[in-house]
Amino acid sequence: MGVWEIYLTTAMHGLVYGMLIFLVASGLTLVLGMAGVLNIAHAALYMLGAYFAYTFTQFTGSFWLSLILSPLVVALVAVLIERFLLRKTYAKGHVPQILLTFGLLYMISEIVRMVWGTNPLRVFEPPLLSGEIPFLGGTYPVYRLFIIGFSIFILIGMLLFLMRTRVGLIIRAAVHDADMVGALGTNVPVYLFAVYAGGAILAAVAGVIAAPMLSIFSGMGDQILLDCFVVIIVGGFGSLLGAFVAALLVGELQSYGVLWIPQLALVFEFLLMAVVLAIRPTGLFGEEI
Amino acid sequence: MASVLKLENIWKDFSGLEILRGISLEIREGERHAIIGPNGAGKTTLFHVITGFYKPNKGKVFFLDREVTGLSTYRIARLGLSRSFQITSIFPKMTVYENIRNAIVSKLGRRFEWTSLLSRSKEIQKETNRLTELLRLEGVKDMLAMTLSYGWQRRLEVALTLALDPKLILLDEPTAGVDVKETRGFVQFIKEVTVGKTLIMIEHDMDVVFNLADRITVLNQGQVLTTGTLDEIRQNEEVQRAYAGRK
Amino acid sequence: MKRAHPYSLVGSMLIFGFLLLAPRILPEMKIHLMIEVMIFALWAVSFNLLFGHGGLLAFGFGAPYGVGAYAAALLFQHFAGIPLVLTLGLVALLGFLTGIIIGSLSVRLKGAYFALITFGFQMFLYAIALKWYSVTKGDDGFSVTRPALSLPLAGNFSMANVVPVYYFTLAIVALAILATYFFQKTPLGNSIALVRENDIRPPFLGYNVYLIRLTVFSVSCLLAALAGGLFVFFNEFVSTAVIDMNVSMVVLLMAIIGGSDHFLGPILGAAFYVLVQNWLSSLTNRWFLVMGAIFIVVVLYLEGGLISLFIPKKDQPGGSAGRK
Repeated sequence: MGVWEIYLTTAMHGLVYGMLIFLVASGLTLVLGMAGVLNIAHAALYMLGAYFAYTFTQFTGSFWLSLILSPLVVALVAVLIERFLLRKTYAKGHVPQILLTFGLLYMISEIVRMVWGTNPLRVFEPPLLSGEIPFLGGTYPVYRLFIIGFSIFILIGMLLFLMRTRVGLIIRAAVHDADMVGALGTNVPVYLFAVYAGGAILAAVAGVIAAPMLSIFSGMGDQILLDCFVVIIVGGFGSLLGAFVAALLVGELQSYGVLWIPQLALVFEFLLMAVVLAIRPTGLFGEEI
Repeated sequence: MASVLKLENIWKDFSGLEILRGISLEIREGERHAIIGPNGAGKTTLFHVITGFYKPNKGKVFFLDREVTGLSTYRIARLGLSRSFQITSIFPKMTVYENIRNAIVSKLGRRFEWTSLLSRSKEIQKETNRLTELLRLEGVKDMLAMTLSYGWQRRLEVALTLALDPKLILLDEPTAGVDVKETRGFVQFIKEVTVGKTLIMIEHDMDVVFNLADRITVLNQGQVLTTGTLDEIRQNEEVQRAYAGRK
Repeated sequence: MKRAHPYSLVGSMLIFGFLLLAPRILPEMKIHLMIEVMIFALWAVSFNLLFGHGGLLAFGFGAPYGVGAYAAALLFQHFAGIPLVLTLGLVALLGFLTGIIIGSLSVRLKGAYFALITFGFQMFLYAIALKWYSVTKGDDGFSVTRPALSLPLAGNFSMANVVPVYYFTLAIVALAILATYFFQKTPLGNSIALVRENDIRPPFLGYNVYLIRLTVFSVSCLLAALAGGLFVFFNEFVSTAVIDMNVSMVVLLMAIIGGSDHFLGPILGAAFYVLVQNWLSSLTNRWFLVMGAIFIVVVLYLEGGLISLFIPKKDQPGGSAGRK
């Protein structure tokens, strides 16, 4: 492959990873905007999505079935966490909240190691999506194109939902100013719950579709947490558009970073975050305090 | 009389929403100045700009003939400009004595001292006790700030501002929320502890204004409507109109 | 002026007395455990200087500890001739510098953001430790030998036996913890505490909040690095286990379970962690899960931590951790 093709392929990889990060970060940033809570345990849901995908694929032999089942199970876990643990911290303030969610991420990582072992696991792409196809002069894996396509499909669905439905309008308003929306008589907690559950499903879906491409390991949660964190800082708290742009940026930086300095691709993410914090602390699309 | 504070054509907006539109003002030494105006006129924002909490989009701020526009809040405070808050901002889990001491340590420039024990410093102890007495807080000095009644917390709020021995005092609605019965005593308190000092206060309660201020500036929609003595303002038609428009 | 509660004072003296006599009354295995408790106590105290006293919660506090550990290991390996005390001094200095670098970039952020950005820095340092195999030997790690302690007038003390290691560690840890205690009571310590209690007012009183936070962060990192260095000194081995994500959780467990409102809390937490872990791991492989569960229970139901069961709340000194 010529240099041009290498760069193009790298850019495509970046797009793929960026999309995955976006799927996870979107739920996180919306809940953050609506409730002021940075739910660290959200990163664990991505990881659980991938691990459940492995188990369901082992049991049923069908990737597509696990794409449906895994997010459902993860959403259930998320709901249980919210109902029995997270809810208790709302009245206590931010410190207990972040302690709890961090502790949960850690616990879930440990449980994952206990149940599934410490070796990385592999899930195989469904036969339908395996192989490569000709793409802009070279070839490119079908599965990765699927990830991009599927993510865009979800993104469009999200946009339509938020822009065109009444529920979506209320959610958008609540992200902007939850108190005001509540004062106007809307039952905000119900919408918050919906966003929370929706975000959990998205994170799990991301985990499922990421599984065949990346290997499944117990450090996945930590890794995606960091990526999401950078995305929220760079994109702005509560901004979906910001999360999208930032996620693609981070994805590309990771991808090229791996190309140029494989050992320390993290550097670029940090540089980006440092630059944004220095120039525009509220994020590219965040609102001024 | 020396100029203590001078504002030249201050403009401040937030993402296009203009709050302060071309404010110019001068406060002289020893003056007791009240800033009044309907809600949303920009009074607290003006305080934020003066104290360096916000940077004005246009215009300059001079404190004691020295330009301080854009300086950090803590630098401006160290130059001798101190303010109180409309919503009480004290150190709730510390005693009244410790609250005042926080201001004293800063005043004496000993914030970063790490080679001596705070409780052993005679200088800090003496100065804190002196100020606690001066500010009439002796009786409550060992009480935790959060256990004080609201009225006494407001006194502590003002006391913290004054403990710095500032050259200019800014009081943001000092009597906000204070019981009507207590207001009289509180105003008397303010009067006594700020004798001879230069004072700017934001107030809604006109009785308090007439009691404490000799000059008044009226702000409306981010602009100075007029400045003058009590009588001049009382008789000003524009002021009456601005207030009549609101309830 | 607040005096330390009689329980805390008497308790501390009893504990110290016990520590002095321990090597004579305990079997060797237990002495190893005690050394670990002391080192972790220092580490937990340093964490709580930042969190309980300074009000800053950092999820990446494994970073300075790990930096200290690797620094000590590399100094022991390549510069074995340097006097032990000087090596530890260098380790502490390096910790301080690490704190300045990470702190200057992080301290402007608040709450969860500050917590996570420090986590990010630690992950970055972990990646370096993992991948720079030629220097750190990645997760294989490498061994070092303890240098002897040479004091100017007292002569050389070999550190091959565990008893001198015990007393040396006790001396350093006790000094460092005492220094931390008095540091909190200086005007600077007070500045740090008041910034924790109210983060709006201090600038208007002339306090440079950024610099104060940077200071407490750097001092905490100094102490944490010292703890890391002592750990390598004791363990004679270093690997990425000193700077991986587990490590962040360990110090958090100790400080929170012990209790972050009181100075002795983290020390109790360290003792709890080391002793309970030792006991539990003989029963089950999954003791980390039990610890995690205890952590969550404490966060939800026992905010003052274990120490609050022994020392009544109203006697806890100068201001509690900002639970806003």
